[in-house]
Amino acid sequence: MVTVSRRIDEAPEIYTLELGAKNEGKSGQFYMLSVQGVGEAPISVASGFGRNLIFTIRSIGSVTSRAMGEGRIGVRGPYGSKWPWKEYNEIVAVAGGIGIPPIRSLIEEMIDAKREGDIELMYGARSPSDIVYKKEINEWMKSVDVHLTVDRGDDRWNGKVGFVPTLLKDSHFSRKAAMFVIGPPLMMKNTVKEAVSLGYREDRIFISLERRMECGIGVCGHCNVGHRYACEDGPIFNYSEVMTEPELFL
Amino acid sequence: MERVFAAISGDFETYGAVEKEGEVLFDRVHSLAEVSENRSRYAPKEFLIRRNENVLYLEEQQRKAVFGIKSCDLKGFYLMDRQILNRDPFYTERRNKTLFVNYVCNTPCEGGFCSSFGGPVLDEFDIQVLREGNDYHIMASDKYDKYFNGCRNDDGSYFTDFKRKFNTEMPPLKVDGLESRIKWNSPIWKEFASRCISCGACNYSCPTCYCFDLYDDGDERKREWDSCVLSGFTSSSAGNIRNGLDERLRQRFYHKFVYFKKSKDEFLCTGCNRCVEDCPVGIDIKEVITHDYSNE
Repeated sequence: MVTVSRRIDEAPEIYTLELGAKNEGKSGQFYMLSVQGVGEAPISVASGFGRNLIFTIRSIGSVTSRAMGEGRIGVRGPYGSKWPWKEYNEIVAVAGGIGIPPIRSLIEEMIDAKREGDIELMYGARSPSDIVYKKEINEWMKSVDVHLTVDRGDDRWNGKVGFVPTLLKDSHFSRKAAMFVIGPPLMMKNTVKEAVSLGYREDRIFISLERRMECGIGVCGHCNVGHRYACEDGPIFNYSEVMTEPELFL
Repeated sequence: MERVFAAISGDFETYGAVEKEGEVLFDRVHSLAEVSENRSRYAPKEFLIRRNENVLYLEEQQRKAVFGIKSCDLKGFYLMDRQILNRDPFYTERRNKTLFVNYVCNTPCEGGFCSSFGGPVLDEFDIQVLREGNDYHIMASDKYDKYFNGCRNDDGSYFTDFKRKFNTEMPPLKVDGLESRIKWNSPIWKEFASRCISCGACNYSCPTCYCFDLYDDGDERKREWDSCVLSGFTSSSAGNIRNGLDERLRQRFYHKFVYFKKSKDEFLCTGCNRCVEDCPVGIDIKEVITHDYSNE
């Protein structure tokens, strides 16, 4: 059990918990968070390795919508695979909606390694008020190339309006860059399709797949993606290895 | 063999298949004579995976010896080992402390097809027994050879001859290459779905099905056998990847004949026929094996 030291409301239905413990996980990995008597839920870590443990959560299920942020919560992990950022010189990180937390973790790790010049962020939300990490994004903009879009603007929004895949052509990196994609299934499907048509290599595209996970250690059998388990072989997969799986995107 | 039983019972709590009120089930036994040669009504999965238990504590387990488990049921554990041994702490603790003495069936059972998956004489075992009346033919693994102390001299050739004879009585189905023959879009999944009532009996009766659900119950966090044909099995905040019953049935058979074969180079089926016997609507896993997919 770990104490929640701070709760931040990020956007409608989305909140961030900062815990009184260090993150031992790498960006892309997840923890199982639990509320006693309610249950457990897999949540990606939002902070960089070695920093304070942070999670950003959407209230949607019984665990995530109840009691989180008060007192102590159960934490086990980290589990799963990580973004392989150390293997690439240029990384286009593409996030949709509540897919952004593992990308925050990634950006923090690259900043800590003084490699923030090697990553571009492409991030889209439904509306300006749904954008998560507004304060952090302003900080990142000082050293990271950030591209934002919203599906629907409002009176005060003077940025881009359009779906996430429309941002890809704004990248300043070469087409040999690695692309890390995370978000709702349809957004990922369309982003990957657009990336391939723009000339990005399938074996340099990495996707994070969301599945029902219960154990986190490859034994309960719920999260299979073909013959792989998302909790153990994923959640980060090399797209070229899973692209032929018929149950890839919902 | 009673002497062997006595020696084993010095080191282990002894259990066996016993006849009780017309059913065969597993219970404590204190002599080999109590052990039934018949197959238990249910696969004795509970020796290693409890139907329902609290996972917040893992108690040290007693060493148990289980007599009379049939080869098809034991093979289920050897297959599960490949995915969950040394990952699942509960399974691993019990697995490492349980000795299985499997009985090889003398003649084919009705509907069974274990010969298709290498049965009923197993390649992996602790102590394997072929009982013919009061004659016991025995193979013991190196670990348990000590219980025989020179009184055993089967070199396995008896078993080889037996296997040849058994296979003529239960001709193996053609399972080679099934993982690439089977078709994702075959109409067979919808046909099964038109009859299936999602009861989950196939999963619960299967000696190889290991999936479980985790849930909180007051102060306890419990694991309970789960079933991939139930609609909630894959529902998540992103949606449900298998909304259709045909998709869930396909998952069950793909796990057995495609996914496990790809990841572990084994089919996740022992040919026990339990899922067929317990299915209330007559869905037969053998049809998945023998179906002609060539024009689909």
